[in-house]
This record gives sequence, C-alpha cells and structure tokens, in this order.
Amino acid sequence: MKPPPFSYHRGRTVEHAAELLRELGPSARLLAGGQSLLPMLNLRLAEPAHLVDLGSAPGLDAIRRDGDLLVVGATARQAAVENSADVRSLVPLLAEAVEHVAHPPIRHRGTVVGSIAHASAVAELPCAALALDAQLTLLSADGVRTVGAEDFFTGAFTTSARADEIVAQVAFPVTGPGTGQAWSEFSLRRGNFPVAGAGVSITVADGEIVDVAIAICGVSDRPVRARAAEAALLGSRPDPETVAAAAAASVAELTPRGAGDLAAHILPVVAAPVPAWGYRASVAKSQVRRAVTTALTRAGGVR
Amino acid sequence: MTRTTDNQADVPAPTAPHKDMKWIGRSVKRVEDPKLLRGLGRYIDDVVLPGMLHAVVLRSPHAHARIVSVDAERARRAPGVVAVLTGPEAAEQFGPLPDSGPAPDKHVWRVLAADKVHYVGEGVAVVVAENRYQAEDARALIDVTYDVLDPIVDPIAAAEDTGNLVHEALGTNVAYERTFTFGEVARDFADADLVVRDRLRWGRQTAHPLDTTAAIGDYDAGTGEMVVHTNSISMTWLAFGAAVALGIPSNKLDLRPYISGGSFGSKQFCWRSTVTAAMMSKITGRPVKYVEDRLDYQLNGDQHGSDRYYDVELALMRDGTFRSLKIDCVDDYGAYIQFGVGSHGNALAQVTGPYRITSTEYRVRAVLTNKTQQGAYRGFGADAGNWALERIVDKAAAELDLDPADIRRRNLIPPDAFPYHIPSGNMYDSGNYEPVLDHALQRFDYDGWRRKQEAMRAEGRKIGIGVVTANERSVYGATEFWFWFDDKDVPVKTTSTPEGVSMTVDTVGAVTVTLYSTPFWGNSSDTVAAMIAAEEFDVDPADVSVVHHGTKGGLPAAGPGGSRLTVMLAGAITGASKKIKDKLRRIAAHDMEVDEADLEWVDGGYQVRGATDSRRGIADLAMLAYLVKTALPDGEESGLAADFVYDHPHLTMPKPDRSDLGSFYPCVGHACHLVAVEVDEETGSVDILDYVAVHDSGTLVNPRSYDGQIVGGTAQGIGTALAEEMTYDAGGNPLVGTFWDYLIPTALDVPEVNFGHEETPSPITAHGIKGGGEAGRLMAPGALSAAIDDALRDHGVRVTELPATPERIVGWLQGQGG
Ligand SMILES: Cc1cc2nc3c(=O)[nH]c(=O)nc-3n(C[C@H](O)[C@H](O)[C@H](O)COP(=O)(O)OP(=O)(O)OC[C@H]3O[C@@H](n4cnc5c(N)ncnc54)[C@H](O)[C@@H]3O)c2cc1C
Repeated sequence: MKPPPFSYHRGRTVEHAAELLRELGPSARLLAGGQSLLPMLNLRLAEPAHLVDLGSAPGLDAIRRDGDLLVVGATARQAAVENSADVRSLVPLLAEAVEHVAHPPIRHRGTVVGSIAHASAVAELPCAALALDAQLTLLSADGVRTVGAEDFFTGAFTTSARADEIVAQVAFPVTGPGTGQAWSEFSLRRGNFPVAGAGVSITVADGEIVDVAIAICGVSDRPVRARAAEAALLGSRPDPETVAAAAAASVAELTPRGAGDLAAHILPVVAAPVPAWGYRASVAKSQVRRAVTTALTRAGGVR
Repeated sequence: MTRTTDNQADVPAPTAPHKDMKWIGRSVKRVEDPKLLRGLGRYIDDVVLPGMLHAVVLRSPHAHARIVSVDAERARRAPGVVAVLTGPEAAEQFGPLPDSGPAPDKHVWRVLAADKVHYVGEGVAVVVAENRYQAEDARALIDVTYDVLDPIVDPIAAAEDTGNLVHEALGTNVAYERTFTFGEVARDFADADLVVRDRLRWGRQTAHPLDTTAAIGDYDAGTGEMVVHTNSISMTWLAFGAAVALGIPSNKLDLRPYISGGSFGSKQFCWRSTVTAAMMSKITGRPVKYVEDRLDYQLNGDQHGSDRYYDVELALMRDGTFRSLKIDCVDDYGAYIQFGVGSHGNALAQVTGPYRITSTEYRVRAVLTNKTQQGAYRGFGADAGNWALERIVDKAAAELDLDPADIRRRNLIPPDAFPYHIPSGNMYDSGNYEPVLDHALQRFDYDGWRRKQEAMRAEGRKIGIGVVTANERSVYGATEFWFWFDDKDVPVKTTSTPEGVSMTVDTVGAVTVTLYSTPFWGNSSDTVAAMIAAEEFDVDPADVSVVHHGTKGGLPAAGPGGSRLTVMLAGAITGASKKIKDKLRRIAAHDMEVDEADLEWVDGGYQVRGATDSRRGIADLAMLAYLVKTALPDGEESGLAADFVYDHPHLTMPKPDRSDLGSFYPCVGHACHLVAVEVDEETGSVDILDYVAVHDSGTLVNPRSYDGQIVGGTAQGIGTALAEEMTYDAGGNPLVGTFWDYLIPTALDVPEVNFGHEETPSPITAHGIKGGGEAGRLMAPGALSAAIDDALRDHGVRVTELPATPERIVGWLQGQGG
C-alpha cells in the first residue's frame, strides 16, 4: 500500500496553486487535508502525476462571518469548524454534521471544503452544504466564479468544478430567528460514513413552517434534496403524523439503485458490501423523521 | 507428567483453591508493558538489517483461473528491482508448504500458485526491490495471462459438484466427510419427549491484530544458515516444516521470535510470510523483509475463521432435561485445508457444553471452494460450536416456555460428576458451574433487569436480555489433528504438544527463564513466566529476566494456541525450578552439614526446619554453586541451570472405531455471560445496555491480564455477533478488504464489561491453572443472539445467522426469514 510515483508542488498562494494546476494539466491533483486523497493513492485508486499542496497558502483557513454568510476557507480543518463558536451559533447544521465526520485525528487534518470538493455520495458535509444552499467560490487561472451547492454536485465524486479549478471557499447562509437545524445519521460503526443521513433546516413562524430544506446522503450518486418532503411540510402546522408522512415522501421520490451502482457511488473503484437500497432507503426515512423532529423542536415549533 | 493411558482413574479429585501463594492470583502490571508503552517493543517492521530488500506479492484478481503465462521481464528491468520470482519458477525451486489436511498431495499448497489460482488474492509472483515503493511499482508491470474458470463459491453446491473442482487431483470438493456417533443417539432420540431443530449459519470472519504477519529472511550463503526473524511461527516442534519447504537442513534454520500486536490465533504457523522472505533471501543473497499489508493479510493470510452451515437437533424431555444432540455441519474451508478439520476437533472437545447430554451425533463435511483458506481465530471452531449449542438451548427454552437461565441450570453438570467425560470422549477435569451462574445472575441483577425490561417495553422500547452458560476448553493435545483418520496403516498415537523452558540462577541469585516459543502476542507470556518463577524463588516478577530463544537448538515448544501457554509454562517452569531448588538443597545440606530432609525452603532460601538463624539465601548458595566447587557435594557440577519439558498433562487414546475420541482437551473452564440490549427497529442497530461476564478458569494467575482477555474476547465476540463478516459475491470476489468495510468494533462500540471470577482449580495442572485465552469470544455471540431474540420476540424474530447486522435485523423484522 504505497502510492505510485508523483511529484509534489507547494502552492505559495491560492492563485499560485491555480497557476500550477493550469500548467501541470489534468494529471495534477489538488491536495488539501489528504484524508481521502492519500488513502486513494496508497490503494492506487488514483495515480496523479502531480500533487499541488494547498496547505501552506496563507489566509485560506479562515472561518469568518461576512454579512449574512459564514465563510469557510479552503484549508480550514474540520476540527476548527467543529470547535468554532461562530459556526455553532450561526450554522448549527454544519457544526452538528462535522461532528459526525470520522474521528478526531482525521478531523484535525481533513478540511471541510476538501470533503465538499471530494463529493462523496455518503459524506456528511456535501449533504449539509446542499441542505444549506451553500455557495461555492471556484478559483482558476481564468478568475473566479460562484456556484450553488445544488449545481455543484453532478454525480459520484464528480462536480461542476473543472480539474484546474480550486474551491477557494464555501459560504453558508447564517440562520435567523425561528430557524431550527439538525443532522441525523446512522452508521454501521461510530465514526464511519453513514448508511444514510439527513440534514434539515426549518424556519417556523407562528407555528407554521415557512421555510424548509432537507437533504439526504447515502441513497443516490450524490446528496439529494427531498423536494416532496419539503413540499409536504411547507406551510403546515407540523405534528408527528405530518412529519412521518414527509419522511415517507422523502424516500418515495428516490429512484431505487442496484448494488453495483451503490458500490460505485460509495467507493471510487472497488466493490463494497454496501447495504442494499431498500435498507438504505428505510434508514434514510428514519433519519429524515428524526432530523425534522429535532429541527422542529429547536425551531420551537413542535407540538 | 504425561499420562497417555486409557486408565482415567489417575485423575485426582478437584482441590480447593490454594490461597497461600505470593504472586499467583495477585494482579500485577505486565512486565512487557514498560517497553511497549514507551515504543521500545521492537516489532518485526522496526527491524532493519544492513542491505535489506523489500518483497511484495502479486495477488490473483481471479477466484479460479488457470495460469497460462507469467511474463515478468518488464518488472525485472524496473528501477530498484533485484529479483522477481514467479509461481511456476518457485514450484521448481521450493517445496510445498506444510499441510496437515487429509491427502495433502491432492491439494498441494504452495507459497505461490504454480499452475492455477484458487482464490482472489492467491500469490502469483514476488517482487524484491531496494524499497517497497519500487517493489509495488514493478509489481504492476508483471503480465499474467489467465484462462478464467467458473468460480466455485457456494459450498453446498460445491459439495455435490464433481465437474468443477478446486483441486482436480482430489476428484471432489469435499476434502473430508464423516459422521461420528457417540453413545446411544437413536435410543435417546426415540425416548425423548420432543426434538427441537435449528438451521444456523455462522459467517466467515478474521482476527485482526494491529500488525500483520511479517518476516525477514537472512541467508548466509557461506554457511548455508538461514535466519528468519518472524512474528508468526517460531515454535520449535514444527519449525522443520519451513526447512523442508525451503530446501534447507532443519538444523541450519533459525526462526527468531518477535513480539506482535496480537494474533488471536491468526499468526498460528503462517508459513507463507516466513517462506516468502526466506526464499527471496536465498535467491538474492541479501536480507529480505516481507510485511503483509492489510490486503495481503485479509486476502492471502491463510487465517479466515470458520464458515459454517449447521443443522442442529436437540432431544429433550418436557421438564427441560436434555438427552441427545445431533449436529450436521458443512464447513466452507476455502481453497486449502492446512489444519485439516482440527477446528471440528475443538468443537468436539466441548460439543455438549456444560450440559449433561448422554449421546451425540456429529457429521462434518469439509468443503473446498475458491476462497481464502481458513486458519485459526480465537475459538478455532469451538466459537461456532458454542453458539450453535446455545442457540438450540434457547430455542428449547422458548418452546417449553422456560426461563433461559432455568433451562440451563437444570442441565448443568453437577460438581460431583467431575472428572466428567462427555459423549465424544473428552474429559472435563473439574468444574462447579452453578455458582458461576448464580454469581452472574446476581451481578447482573437478573430479576431487577427483567422488571426494568417490562417497564421499558411498555414504553414501546425493544429491550432484550440474553444469557449463556458456556465452556472454554484449554490446553489442546494435537491428537485432535489426527484422530479423524483411522486408516489401519497409520496408527494414531496421542500427541503431547510439549513446552520446554530453560532456567538459570546466576552467581548472585538472579533468575532467568528462557522460552522457546512465541513471545508477546497480546497474551503476556513473559508476565506469566516471571510470575511463576517469582513464586518458586520468592523474587519480584519484575526482577526475573525472560529470554526468547530461536528455534535452532531449542527445546520442544508449541507456543500459544488452544489456550495452552499459561498452563504449559507453569508446568515447565515449576519443573525446571524444582531441579534447581533440589540442587540448591543438596548444596545447602552439604554446606551446613545437615541432612537434606531437615531443610525447608522459606523466603528465598533454605533453613533447617524452624531455625531461621540457619538460613542460607539463594544468593549465598548460588555463589557457592558458581565459584566454590570445593563447597559442592561430590559429583555435583558447578552452576545452576535446568531444562524442563512439560508434556501435555492428560491425553488418552481414541477408540479404534472412533466411538470415543479419547481425552485431548482436558482443562475445561466455564463462564456465564449476561447482556441487555436495545434494538432500534428502524435501523436494526443493537445497543448494549449492560454486560456481565463471570468466568472460572481454574486458579487465576494474574487477574488483571485475565480481565484484559475477557474484555478483548468479548469485544471480538461483539464483532462476531453484530458486524464482522468476510463476504464474497457470486463470482468469488471478496467484497471486503480494508477496515472501511470489515467492521471491527472500536472502543466506542464496546460496553464496560462487569467482571466476576470463580476459581475451581484443575486437578491435573501446576497450581490448578486452566487456560483462558478465548474468554469472551466463546460466549458473547450466543448471549447477544439471545438478547436480540428476546428484544424482538413480539415480531417472532430469531437470530439464526451471524453476524446479525443492522441490515439483516431489519430484513428479519420485515419478515424475510430469521
Ligand atoms: C478513517 C477515515 C474515516 C473517514 N470518515 C469519514 C466520514 O465519516 N465522513 C466523511 O464525510 N468523511 C470521512 N472521511 C474523509 C475525510 O472527511 C476527508 O478529510 C475528506 O473527505 C476530504 O478532505 P481533505 O481535506 O482530507 O481532502 P483531500 O483528501 O486532500 O482531497 C480529497 C479530494 O478533493 C480534492 N480537493 C480537496 N480540496 C479541494 C479544493 N479546495 N478544491 C478542489 N478540490 C479539492 C482533492 O484534489 C481530492 O481529489 C474519513 C477519512 C478517513 C481516513
């Protein structure tokens, strides 16, 4: 389990890193925390000729509020986000989701943005970003563009970012009054990727749901929004039956997938004994119900 | 010491625990720990020899395929590569690996596949390079042409198949088949009020030590001496097997032992890594290190556990008393069968568990398939056997509407029945089972938990309680590897499985113990050796020096396995100590000019009975022994050294017709585990709320490290019950390779285990010690299965397949079997 030969390049700034990616071409890969990329290299599931390390580029690890947005820079570690009081109060769903990522040693190296850029269909953070309608800033030698989370995830481990684009930062809308958020997941062993998980943000005004976003991971080739469930909840005065019906709707709108597909969504190459779709879907349903219930309680809207 | 006779009258009556010991029975910190905790342990991968090369193995991507050609030219020219050896080349230069299966010449097992690959992961070539990176790069350049064959995956179908064979020379995929009948099975079944039947499935698992199996071969072309540094085989008694495979005289091979981050049976033998490193050193003339990576270990490590399909029948009376037991087992051994059906010997050693059952039928079919072969995993077949028995006992309890603790109590072998012979012939040396059950019930607060359970269930929670009473045989006699065969031309003899030690007391009285088998595998051999020696010589265990000798020139030693090491080392060290203490007594008597019979050993020295002022301490006597020849009795040699080989404490011959297999696994412990769980109906997850384990392994040596065995074994049992599974798809492709998908419980998943101990000494071992190395793993799967059943009883769910993964549990709840 040793990586194939590669050459290592250090990006002095994020712009310099972008120039290197342009220069070195498609055989170059960006290196952030390395917690997904290095295992892939060691298993020879990826064989990039060049690694461009973003780690020492200055200023990229910021976690700061910018108006109605909380901005997380490309090299901000998962542990830093987890321990940030700002994140906890301004984007509680992100704080709760990141706690479920792996174990502390991995969160001390892995980055939030790297996980989102890696775009695993079972990972917590891409799913949370989708539920939160996060905005991604893509930077390349050509300049900068912004993409919404929904347009960013295009398939298993694939995104709308080009190979020479860097996700320089991800901006999450901060919560307002009456909003409750929750993450719920089930994994086969603590610290593992979930079988399925759900991220929920709900705003309640006068006992009525006025805004709701639900995203699910583990049931498709990418995180997905549960639009039917959202529609079932929006405008309702929620009780447990409504919530259960919405959870059922969240799964009914999904397309069942075969084991081979699921394996490919979840691991880059090798087959995995992934739980079958039916089981994943039933776990997803329960996690949607649990996350919605918790979010409602936090929004002060449960009865 | 060995009793190899049919006469069982020579087993003494059980004794009460002796409480007059200084060290035995006291919790001491392990003498191994200071070096391990400071990172000074020197594991095999820490060893770097000058000029050392690194080997990697090219593994087969196919489950079943003929090797048409192996072209290694590109790899040989790659940077840093020193040698490449292909399977066909290796078969010309090196012998097969040692195989104690039936008809080994018909399923020849080699370090690299020669003409056919038999499972995904089987080695096809070895690359040796200046570093591991280069070796892995070059491995990718080897071109193998395969003629892919239909994979043989399902053992039930494979058993019937005569066309598609794993090994053509064998003519069948069934490597071994036999039905044993012990006692009046037909009569007992006819007399029984009812018969309970079950069909059970025990999934394939693997032990996962922290470090994989590894070796460094270091060949001296000048002398022809081969030294292999290894963390696996280093037991003297069978080391010659590696010499034969390597084509080296046995007395020119030295296997040097290294500590390891665990074995749990998985490092038992492991010829492959030793032979890989050694053969490549012989070829290159330089030291070669071969360290399995986790994929090598999982796919090509020869240590998968039992993979069984059971049909079980229990005949019993209305009052819940058991009569007879029938077991029909298909075991999927994978592509080879290195230990024969020895793992069924383990199951047969305690086939009827702690219960009075007067007859037993046991049918075993060992089937070969295109999977990695089985090896040993903590329990070695008795793990599955215990589970199957406890499952049928629970089913019987449910059918008779008896409390699961009650039905067990009714059937426990009573204390006055020991030594007790079970139907298969094995002897249980001693036991007192009911106090263990009572202790556990009380520690768990069984009645209290039952009340709590009712209250919690009333709130809609799925709470279940499981109880098992189960045995743990220890100290194997290798007879169990041969008694399967009763060919008239091959007379079966009992096989002692000896363990030797050497001891010295030096000029100033300091004690050294030399061991001839594997050091620390997680099992604290050094602490045991130090404690037993300390007990004999009245010194502090921390002051006893423990040395590990290589196999070359060593005394017979079989190492850890079958929970034997503590018992065997205690016997050997007690024996060697006695020789030295006898000599000290002769010297003391001579020096004091008194009769030997007038001397007594007190506090590390001899004195005339009752006369403390006459004392000669060990240091004074040692000084005489080494330096003052004139002070020694006539004919007494200088120095204080003794060898002692402790043979198996109790073996008896199998009957010629195998209606009785003799006694081969006689030191039998007992345990009761109780667990309360909560099952989440939606996700199928099982939360452990409370866990109690009470064990009786005879006299306790070091309770502190024994508790560690119980927690570790229980953790593995939890993995076995709930999560760990080595799965294959219909094409024979392993679906599990790394810890991503092979789910070992972590500290976060294992509950606090509440321990209790009882002590019923063995009448046949030094100090009454029994082995306890499989503690926990033999009990937890049954206890958890029962608790899940109980939690889901309203849904009619029964756990009949392990692991009971969350996905399976949800499937059972949805009415898909179970
Ligand atoms: C044992 C273990 C358990 C884990 N468990 C979980 C878990 O439960 N849940 C979970 O979600 N994750 C888990 N992970 C993965 C972990 O969260 C990773 O840290 C994360 O997926 C990737 O972040 P990284 O910073 O380490 O990125 P890297 O590994 O460095 O990069 C990953 C990929 O993203 C690309 N990339 C990284 N940053 C950027 C960027 N700014 N712009 C464009 N592309 C970029 C890289 O080129 C690479 O292709 C686990 C990892 C391990 C080792």
